[in-house]
Amino acid sequence: MKKHGENISFAVIVIILALVPLLLQFGAISGGSTVIFIGKCMAYAIVAIGIDLIWGYTGILSLGHGLYFALGAYGMAMYLKLVSTNGQITDFMHIGGLKELPFIWTLFDNLPMTLLFMILIPAVVAFIIGYFIFKNRVKGVYFSIISQALTWAFYSVFIALSPYTNGNVGITEIKSLFGSVKGDANRANMFMLFYVSLIVLILVYVVAKFLVSRKFGKILVAIRDGENRTYFSGYKVSMYKTFVYVLSAIIAAIAGAIFVNFNGSITPSEMTIEASIMMVIWVAVGGRGTIIGAVIGAFVINLCEYNLSSGNLVEIWQYIIGSVFCLTILFFKGGLVGLVREQIPALIAKFKSNNTKNKITKKPTVTKLNTKKGGLNHG
Amino acid sequence: MANANTVLDIRQISVCFDEFQALTDINTKIRRNTIHFFIGPNGAGKTTLLDIICGKTKPTTGKVIFFPQGKNGILLTGLKEYQIVRYGVGRKFQVPSVFVNLTVEENMILSLKSNKGIFSSIFNKPSTEEHHEIRRVLEKVDLIDKLNFRAGALAHGEKQWLEIGMQLVQKPELIMLDEPAAGMGKPETFKTGEILKEIKKECTIIVIEHDMEFVKQVADTVTVLHEGKMLKEGHIDDILNDEVVQSVYLGRSKKND
Repeated sequence: MKKHGENISFAVIVIILALVPLLLQFGAISGGSTVIFIGKCMAYAIVAIGIDLIWGYTGILSLGHGLYFALGAYGMAMYLKLVSTNGQITDFMHIGGLKELPFIWTLFDNLPMTLLFMILIPAVVAFIIGYFIFKNRVKGVYFSIISQALTWAFYSVFIALSPYTNGNVGITEIKSLFGSVKGDANRANMFMLFYVSLIVLILVYVVAKFLVSRKFGKILVAIRDGENRTYFSGYKVSMYKTFVYVLSAIIAAIAGAIFVNFNGSITPSEMTIEASIMMVIWVAVGGRGTIIGAVIGAFVINLCEYNLSSGNLVEIWQYIIGSVFCLTILFFKGGLVGLVREQIPALIAKFKSNNTKNKITKKPTVTKLNTKKGGLNHG
Repeated sequence: MANANTVLDIRQISVCFDEFQALTDINTKIRRNTIHFFIGPNGAGKTTLLDIICGKTKPTTGKVIFFPQGKNGILLTGLKEYQIVRYGVGRKFQVPSVFVNLTVEENMILSLKSNKGIFSSIFNKPSTEEHHEIRRVLEKVDLIDKLNFRAGALAHGEKQWLEIGMQLVQKPELIMLDEPAAGMGKPETFKTGEILKEIKKECTIIVIEHDMEFVKQVADTVTVLHEGKMLKEGHIDDILNDEVVQSVYLGRSKKND
């Protein structure tokens, strides 16, 4: 039971998610916008799984995954925009002085090519960045800073190339892969999109769980806990790191593509440093180093934000999320999952042993001796 | 020329860190299936020498040649750490560095000689023989009962033995141990010695150690280093009776006692 706790929790989440559209249909949830929001949360959960693989398991704190999320999202958005303009040049290209569709857009003029390049481009970018950074053994906070700086650089480029990307405004007024999802009339489209996204979430979860359960996953943990030692066990650590980095970038890109379908637009704000840090916070609060923790974190934080950040709390929401993050890092390193799995059972055990101590007076001396012995061994 | 008995030939190794001459003209041969000790006061260059053999530090001049059983010599200087490991030279660090969040068995699985690539680590599982091998080694280092313990929960001595086991399961020809008995009590140190004697039947062992009792218990050959130079090499009894050695090293340690 304990061993399968993660998978059972995930199954429960999947069942609840599968019921969401039905609840809307039968009137238990009012308004399709909530369902669309939950759809976005699935995209967030997917990117969180990717970040958990690279940070929670491998110990590499990337503060730039918003970049890959946005690259996937832009790829999908370009295709969807071309669908709505029938492959013609867009307004912002006209204004930017372009006469015909730029080459980069032609890569996204049909769905199979889009699915390919939406993944290939972020993967290549991540490989180039990862290969050189990890080969030169840049790690820890230096890697985090570089990942931030690169994200910032890409952000600036996307703003500057406004004839191609529509700059600050981003690519807007697009429908999903299944047509418009807004309004009651398009509910069937929305449900289709919702369930397809749910299936993608399940697939990403299964792949991630498979990877971490194999020897591969143990090597990632080994790299996190003792990188030098892993080199001396004969593993080419830099290749492993690059592989996980590229994999998490691909997962982020898939999440971005799903996100843009629900959102109906993509702006460069999704690739800001703030957006990237938020993703890390989801994983930290949910529980890093457990795939389910990333999923739970993404849902909990975003649902809280959705419900609390309107009304009175809108101004102090940023402070709340900041304090939650600090508290998690200081006191609950395992996040929500760690709380349920270790800290609460430890508290119960402590409570129980206190009770028995009070009943049997001899017992405490024995425990004391044991701790002493343990201390000596460790010294 | 190296004869068939030599497993490692260290030739004219010198290393210079900026202005500091850490090692000067080290020449020695390690014989197969022996336990070879490097002793000397702090700063004598013992750890630097191991760093050079395993590829962590590059020597300024000189070379290290490794002779696997029945094969041609391999020039180790210039190779990367993981390549040297794959040729069969293992290293255990001064601080016990097992993977604390993995179980004893998982630690051993990671150390297996095969499956170091990404795809085989995803799709292949350790074979039955490899599982048998892991059990055999764990019996040797007396950790078979703790197969499913988290390595972080082991006592200090047990971590050291696990790490020796992790070296052994790679079927190395040569393992290097940096103070394997550091921080151990007398009974644990003695047990470590007995484990090493058992292991030397399968491979060659290079040890850095300060504990003279331990050196007497297991050493076949001892090399004394002092301020980066070789002072003396030979059997432990000759070393202990040598006046120069006594004055620079043993004399000092006697005073400390």
